[in-house]
Amino acid sequence: MNRSRIVGVIAIVALIGVGVALPYLGTTAYVISLVSTIIIAGMLAATVNFLVGDGGMASLGHGGIAAASAYGAGWASKQGFDPGMQVVVAIGVTLVVSFVYGLLSMRTSGIYFLMVTLALGMVVYGLAYRLSTVTGGENGITGIRRPEWIFEYWTFYYFILGAFILTTLLLWVVSRSPFGASLRGIRDSESRMRSLGYSVASYKLAAFMMSGTLAGFAGLLAVWHTHFVSPSAAGVHRSVLLIVMVILGGVGTVFGPLIGAAIVVLVENVLSNSIERWPTILGLIFILVILFARDGIMGSAAKLVRRMQRRDPSPPDDTAPPLGGAEEPIPPRETTQSHASRKELP
Amino acid sequence: MRSTKTRARGRWSALAGLGAAAALVLTACAPPGAAPDDEGGGGGGGEQGGTLKVGYISPITGNFAIAGQEMVDGWNLYWELNGDEVNGVTVETIVEDDAGNPETSLTKAKKLVELDEVDIVVGPLLANTALATAAYTSSVGIPNLHPVAAADDLTQRSANDLTVRTGSMSGSQMNYPGGKWAAEQGHKTAVTLCPDYAFGWESCAGFKQGFEEEGGEVVAQYWFPNGTSDFSTYVSQIQSANADIAFVGTAGGAPGPDFLKSYLGLGLGQSQPLLMNCCGMDQATLRALGSEIVGFNSVSWWAEGRDSDTVREFSEAYGENFEGKIPSANVAGGYMTASLVAKVLEENGLVTGADLVSAIADTTFDDSIFGEVSFDDYNNFVGPVYIREVQEVDGKYLNVPIETYENVDQWLGKDPEEALSQPTYSQSFQGE
Repeated sequence: MNRSRIVGVIAIVALIGVGVALPYLGTTAYVISLVSTIIIAGMLAATVNFLVGDGGMASLGHGGIAAASAYGAGWASKQGFDPGMQVVVAIGVTLVVSFVYGLLSMRTSGIYFLMVTLALGMVVYGLAYRLSTVTGGENGITGIRRPEWIFEYWTFYYFILGAFILTTLLLWVVSRSPFGASLRGIRDSESRMRSLGYSVASYKLAAFMMSGTLAGFAGLLAVWHTHFVSPSAAGVHRSVLLIVMVILGGVGTVFGPLIGAAIVVLVENVLSNSIERWPTILGLIFILVILFARDGIMGSAAKLVRRMQRRDPSPPDDTAPPLGGAEEPIPPRETTQSHASRKELP
Repeated sequence: MRSTKTRARGRWSALAGLGAAAALVLTACAPPGAAPDDEGGGGGGGEQGGTLKVGYISPITGNFAIAGQEMVDGWNLYWELNGDEVNGVTVETIVEDDAGNPETSLTKAKKLVELDEVDIVVGPLLANTALATAAYTSSVGIPNLHPVAAADDLTQRSANDLTVRTGSMSGSQMNYPGGKWAAEQGHKTAVTLCPDYAFGWESCAGFKQGFEEEGGEVVAQYWFPNGTSDFSTYVSQIQSANADIAFVGTAGGAPGPDFLKSYLGLGLGQSQPLLMNCCGMDQATLRALGSEIVGFNSVSWWAEGRDSDTVREFSEAYGENFEGKIPSANVAGGYMTASLVAKVLEENGLVTGADLVSAIADTTFDDSIFGEVSFDDYNNFVGPVYIREVQEVDGKYLNVPIETYENVDQWLGKDPEEALSQPTYSQSFQGE
């Protein structure tokens, strides 16, 4: 273990420690609920971050996926199904919606990908708004209960915390795997990957399915947290805020989305208590980060640490920065196990 | 190399084990704050003195900022005029902004209840934010008053003992007498145009049921999406429907004037009788079109031109404080809610929780700014609905009532059970 990795691990352990101890530090249910909101938003942002950071695909429709899952749970709850059934319906809806998203966007990239996902997000919003017999229209669905065993706010908080840690770990593992490396290869040069024999579209679809499934999971947690879903959850506004969170925190970093989510949620919910012009403040923060910390807060911090290490006399560590965007080379064609494109090779 | 790796792995698993054990221990015992505290629920009653803390949630920023600010202005105006101390009880208000976003409304409601320990939550404004907030506040035993929110379900399918609609009517309720009136004027057929979402569906359903009950027939219903600014196609559809009267509803803002400009532009002003709803013919529309729409009719539970001392006092006070403006329904809703709270405090001293709600529900006004008002068993506003006509009064354009339907309730002539067993209104279901 090298030094920077030790620092990283200590930071993560400390973060988890604070997260676990939080309900015991004399915090009120309100603070716990606020932190829960941040963690859920951070989770959703992390799924967007995975697509942007590794796949170079900026999605403007992830709010729609999360909302679709939430509506699945809401609909099931309205039919009087138990929470187990809610989960099943939510997962089913999520998979279908993610698949449609993935299928329609897998052959696009850049601005076209952005537009396709934006349009799909609008479709979900439109359905939520208009299909009032299923979704309750603009009124939304209220009174969605979460399972008994996580009914208390603090047990639910631990559940969310655990889910967040698992999700982060999962995304990290995927990102570090050959699959993640191939995805980054596609991000950097689609044509090169295609000429190497990779089926770019299937990689994109797979990445979207992973990201979408986790986004749906976050949507389910959100609806269990607020007991409520309405079309605004699928609105463009929400999806744009997710991108803002990712950029604030740092594209491609592991904890950037959480930091971005914390900033956005706190400005929206806490700063707005005292400052009437809070949307301006959020805009200013965004502009400042774009101007002076192009890699986001987490990315810039990692850069700063690396720069300080370089000044350090101790041997430099160039292999895989601990928290910043990983930049390992594309694995040679032979090392990856098997994929759809193999048959295409002569 | 190998040995250090194994050692590292050993240390890792030890660490992981430790972490897991700690997590288990911690989750096994509830944190100190977790014990359920059951304040609020029952509510205290009848004490002298003290403070009534009010949390006021409204969208002061975002797309609905104008309506949201008006709703706050109405509430504040009452306390400025009458002092914030009633019967020895001081009313303290904390205003929170939700930007029209239901997740933010919920967080703000939690903040107000748990951190600020408010006794009641007032607001917010939009249907989805109102329903989300009401569900939360009722679960923690805090009363929730709604000065403006018009969603039918707030006092129907989602009604609860702690939620009161204090300053407005439900979407179908406020337009039902409009249908009756149109039929009573001898119109046999009608065409409707409403915004294509819950409020519009409810509004047009109210009109349609009133009209058909009196023997009329709605021959065509058109819906415009939110954000429509060019109404010429809708106006020509109305023209080609060839009905005796057109009913047009909007949710306030630009669509009202925009529709009327197309309507007048295509020369229907003289030939096609028209009835607008509350918000399509509000002060914003009157300011924009003024003399062009004198004599036009609309139906609403709020009439700023009503000949009554309470309305005159309220309008003058509002004008003095806000650059000569004339109060809208949103201001009136906020003001009405404040006068209701004040009246309850006057009669009962400091009451909170369920006692406060039952005191509010028992309150009746002989002449409030809305006229004679009481509350039904589902805590909904029961009061007069006015058929209004635009008139010029002392150089200002006002909606002056020409006919009044007293004691209009939310059931549209049905009994509550029957009304509640219907599906919610939509394009395809407009009531039987």
